[in-house]
Order: sequence, then C-alpha cells, then structure tokens
Amino acid sequence: MGVFTRMKKECILLDPKVKDKEQLLRQMTLLLAEHEGAAQPDQLYEDIMKREEMGSTCLGKGCAVPHARTEALDRTVIAAARLTPPMKLDSPDDQPVSLIFLMAGPTASAGLHLKILSKLVRLLNEEPFREQLLAAPDEEAFYQLLCDKESNYG
Amino acid sequence: MKLLVFILNNEEYLEEVLEVYIEAGVTGATIIDSEGMGRFLTYEVPLFAGFKDFMKGNKPYNKTILSVVRDDATVQQLKRLLDGKIGGFDNPGTGIMFTLPVDWAVGLVPEDEEV
Repeated sequence: MGVFTRMKKECILLDPKVKDKEQLLRQMTLLLAEHEGAAQPDQLYEDIMKREEMGSTCLGKGCAVPHARTEALDRTVIAAARLTPPMKLDSPDDQPVSLIFLMAGPTASAGLHLKILSKLVRLLNEEPFREQLLAAPDEEAFYQLLCDKESNYG
Repeated sequence: MKLLVFILNNEEYLEEVLEVYIEAGVTGATIIDSEGMGRFLTYEVPLFAGFKDFMKGNKPYNKTILSVVRDDATVQQLKRLLDGKIGGFDNPGTGIMFTLPVDWAVGLVPEDEEV
C-alpha cells in the first residue's frame, strides 16, 4: 500500500512563510485543491480543523500528521510541508515541528485512512529519513526522497 | 488436547457463556479482562482520536476465556450451544473463538473428576 506514491510533487511546500498552524493548513489545503482536485477546499479545511480540535496530531520528533476524513474528497490525498524555522505546536515531547504531512480522504475510507496514517508514522519515526527531508535542497529532492523511501523499504 | 480461546465481545453474556461451558463439559477456565485494539487506539493515542466514529458499535472491553479441552467433540458441542445462546459467530460483535493444539499440560482437572 503506497503512501508517498499517492503524492504529487506539486503538493510539497518547502519553507513557506506562515505565522501559525491555521495559515499553514490553509495553504496546504489550497495545494490539494489546486493539484488534487479537492472541489471544496473550505469544507476540507474545516474538517481538518475540526479534527485538530479533537486532539493533537503531532507525533513528536518534530513531525505532525494532521488529517481528516471528509465529504470533500473521493480519494485519499497527501500534501507535505517543511517549516524553517520549526513551529511550536502541541507536541507530546514539546519539540517544535518542522515536518508536516497533511492527509485527507473520504469519510467512508476509514480503514485505508488508518493504514496510511500508521505507515506514515512508522516512516517518520526513522531519524535518518527525517534528517534527509530536513536537508533536501528543493521540492524535487524532497519528493525524490519520499519516492526512494517507499521503493526501498515499502 | 486443545487450548480453547474465546474472546467474548459482549461481557453481559459472560454468566450464560460459562453455564454453557459447564453444560458442554468444560469445567475449568480462566477469564481475563481484555480490551479491543480499536478502543485503545482511538481513546488513548491522540493521533487516532478521529476514528472514534469508525469504532461505533464495537464493545470497548471484552473478556478472554481460556480453557483446555480434551477433544474436538467438546469444542463442537460448545460452539453449537453458544450459537443458540448468544447468537452466531457470523454476527459482527459476537466474538472470536479458536483452538490451538496443546502437546503437554499439568495441573488439569483429572478426566474422571470432570463433570
């Protein structure tokens, strides 16, 4: 089951100028709307924020995986962002967050959503992988790292 | 000999289930309080909090009943009696039952003392 193979290079946002989580998630949602055909970006954003209100989606180790199941999509899509400098969010280890993977999919696809989320967490737990992503010079290199990771380690 | 494992999802049936065990000839069992993976993930791990609705209808806690049975006929009779008492195992939410071979055991009730 692919995680990063679902992603488009255009849905990677490196070092955007954002002042808070809301602004970041709004920008990532717009990326999904533009490149993945999410027809109702406002609905998607609202569903993501509703999920955020339920509890933190930060994993620790500088990573967060905000996500939502929504009626605004008919398939599961992912966008990624890297923040420089990292942003203080509600992390279990109090570390500021620099790698964010936003995932959203149809309400009915809960099983698939869970599988992708769990795999994403496993991959992001690997320190060398995180370091490579943090050092990627541009979106192309960042995307290539994601593709390589998936083809090398499944 | 077989180890019979029954994860009973609806704890309210425990008393009736144990009565059925006795009737089928299983006179000893160990009952363990257990918990479904879904409940733990959605209520204890913040990342999965958004899946509470997905778990709707599932029982958060269950009972795991372990017992050693001597022959397959006992298992089949137990299964038949349980079907009549708590509904078929094909109904989602009833539970899971399976056996594993036991190649050695001590401490069991002697066969001639079994009910």
